[in-house]
Amino acid sequence: MNNTLANIFTSPYPTAIQTSLDSLATIARFDPSGRYIAAGRHDGLAVIWDLDTRGQVRWLEGHVKGITSIDWSQNSRYVLTSSKDWNVIIWDLASDTDPPRRRATIRFDVPVASASFHPKNSKIVLVLLSSGEAYIVDLRREYRGRYELCEVQDENEDEAQISRSRTAFSAARFDPSGKHVFLGTTLGNVLVFNSRTKFMVARHRISGAGIIRGLEFVASGRRMVTNSSDRVLRQFNLPVYPSPTTDGEYIEQELEPTHRFNDPISKVGWHAMSYSPDGEWLAGGAADDASHKIYIWDLAREGLLASTLDGGRELLTYVHWHPQKPVIASVTNLGNILIWHCPTEERWGAFAGGFEEVDENVEYEEREDEFDIEDEADMARRKMLEEEEDVDIEDAPVDVAPDTSEKSRLHGETDEEVLWAMEEPDDDVKGWKMKVLVEDEQD
Amino acid sequence: MTALSPPVQDSSAPTPAPAPTPKPETPYVPNYRPTYMLSGHSRSISSVKFSPDGKMLASCAADKLIKLWDAENGDIIHTFQGHSEGISDVAWSSNGEFLASASDDKTVRLWSLETFAVVRVLQGHTNFVFCVNFNPSSTLLASGGFDETVRVWDVARGKTLKTLPAHSDPVTAVTFNHDGTLIASCAMDGLIRIWDTESGQCLKTLADDDNPICSHVKFTPNSRFILASTQDSTIRLWNTQTSKCVKTYTGHTNRTYCIFADFAPGRKHIVSGSEDMKVYFWDLQTREIVQVLDGHRDVVIAVASHPTRRLIASAAMEKDLTIRLWADEGADAL
Repeated sequence: MNNTLANIFTSPYPTAIQTSLDSLATIARFDPSGRYIAAGRHDGLAVIWDLDTRGQVRWLEGHVKGITSIDWSQNSRYVLTSSKDWNVIIWDLASDTDPPRRRATIRFDVPVASASFHPKNSKIVLVLLSSGEAYIVDLRREYRGRYELCEVQDENEDEAQISRSRTAFSAARFDPSGKHVFLGTTLGNVLVFNSRTKFMVARHRISGAGIIRGLEFVASGRRMVTNSSDRVLRQFNLPVYPSPTTDGEYIEQELEPTHRFNDPISKVGWHAMSYSPDGEWLAGGAADDASHKIYIWDLAREGLLASTLDGGRELLTYVHWHPQKPVIASVTNLGNILIWHCPTEERWGAFAGGFEEVDENVEYEEREDEFDIEDEADMARRKMLEEEEDVDIEDAPVDVAPDTSEKSRLHGETDEEVLWAMEEPDDDVKGWKMKVLVEDEQD
Repeated sequence: MTALSPPVQDSSAPTPAPAPTPKPETPYVPNYRPTYMLSGHSRSISSVKFSPDGKMLASCAADKLIKLWDAENGDIIHTFQGHSEGISDVAWSSNGEFLASASDDKTVRLWSLETFAVVRVLQGHTNFVFCVNFNPSSTLLASGGFDETVRVWDVARGKTLKTLPAHSDPVTAVTFNHDGTLIASCAMDGLIRIWDTESGQCLKTLADDDNPICSHVKFTPNSRFILASTQDSTIRLWNTQTSKCVKTYTGHTNRTYCIFADFAPGRKHIVSGSEDMKVYFWDLQTREIVQVLDGHRDVVIAVASHPTRRLIASAAMEKDLTIRLWADEGADAL
């Protein structure tokens, strides 16, 4: 709302540090509304920050070892944390206690590398274990269970014996529609699975990548960027995947990146990357061992490096772009969360009614009738007429981004996937409010 | 005044409903009648507000008390005591869990509706606090007062987040817009300013040529307009984007006090108190007076609209000391 009034040119990406949140964090992610940040810490604690007040509003105490990943449900009611203590916990922020009530705890027998919600239903969780296995954990009554995702091996291959050894996964994400799961392997492949049937629908070889460390998607789901052990970020246009057939067919396709992002001089790797909300910009958090650097590339202009943000001496460990605004959160190795924004200059002209600031002097031309004295009755009549026009004061339409992910990937696919995901929906409804807990006064 | 319905009589005998106005676009004409009279305050009442769920009404007065009433039957539920001076304004948090009150003792107090106890005393204003409001998520509180500043508070921690150098005269009203990204304030300097909540920067100033004292501002539900009452007996609707006045409502008297105005239930009308001891209703679009409520025996300083029903609360000053509830029961539900 405020941007319609501010109406001033701002950069599409952040340029300066606005604030630093002392949080002991290793990762920090904005919620889908952009009002909160969830921070995961070394000691297993996760903290919810309210960006309105820059205060810590919830303490998620439950893990006993470091948090490895954090995810938010679509309307921010549920938070998912995974930890080195072998557990995944789903927290319900609508409970009016602190720490909040847990909705579920999912236990494994090895440290959990990452976990994420299905974008449409927080009762479906994708889990990647440090042992390289990936599971879809379905918490719904009808589908309850853990489903392991396994690579399909070619039967007629000569070295069938050798390749029988299980593929180790090193990255796992749902695509934004939730219809597919993308798994990165230690051998430089990206495998695509159907979320509902758990069948593999595609295998993409990414030559030269090495171990796939991370995957990110634009909101439409049409493009993906990978982070890998060869210290290159690659962006790909994704094909349309057919609906799964029962005979287990899949696409075998090598993907050619549209862009490669790397640091040609110091050859640093990347800790994390994040797309801007419109997918036009990509931020990469450098694994630089001397300074805190975020690179921003302009994807509309052939991936040109647009800016390098320097966050000082504390090294970077994580980076996440705000879901709506040109704001980035980056985490330092000392646990501070840096919030980057575009500073706007105070416009002093705004303090005077009816004034307009101009950059250069303007020759003012007086209208012929400007200082004519108008008859008061005429003036009143004119004013009356002007005010005849109806005004609309009703509720503004809710600012929801059109669900492009739906449309773009619908062709060739049935709605079966969406219907399946929407079965037994969670109670994460729009418009719920987190209760304000007044802290005890400390004097 | 042609569309004026007869003033409400004290007799409870049902009078026939006035004939609907012929205008097809305004089929509903308000026909509010007195339902309850709430007495309890011993000094001038300053503000009344319905709770977000509409079940309760909060009132505050110069007698240093806040009273909580049952909006259904007019029973008193609770009296909050604690301020050491008179109270000028009271506000509900959007979830109905807290009340905030602004007092001449220079503090804002935050009251819990669960325990009926004071949970915070917000200190920082250097003079009387005159107005207070929550943001939609109830995490922030804005207050303004005679120290000519607007303060933005962190509700959870009870600390000042920002002090806006808002005006050059006492601040008479402060309010958030529907998504909480904007703050509007107005003051006795006659200016209405719009602020960016996040940065605290002034985005715009609305001012008329004559600069009459501005006593109350409220955003429309869609935040595109601001309803502003000024002490030239006029209420104006300002377009926030073009900075133009798009509607003017007159006919009531307002020269001395900071009188509240609101969108009447159904949002097709404007309702305001008046110094001629009446409550006025205007048609939002045609700007004609459509009903006048008689009954109070002093300046009607505060009015409030029920969030879901056709129900109005009004409160008057020293010589009256009553809160009156008015209902339009004949009309279709909202």
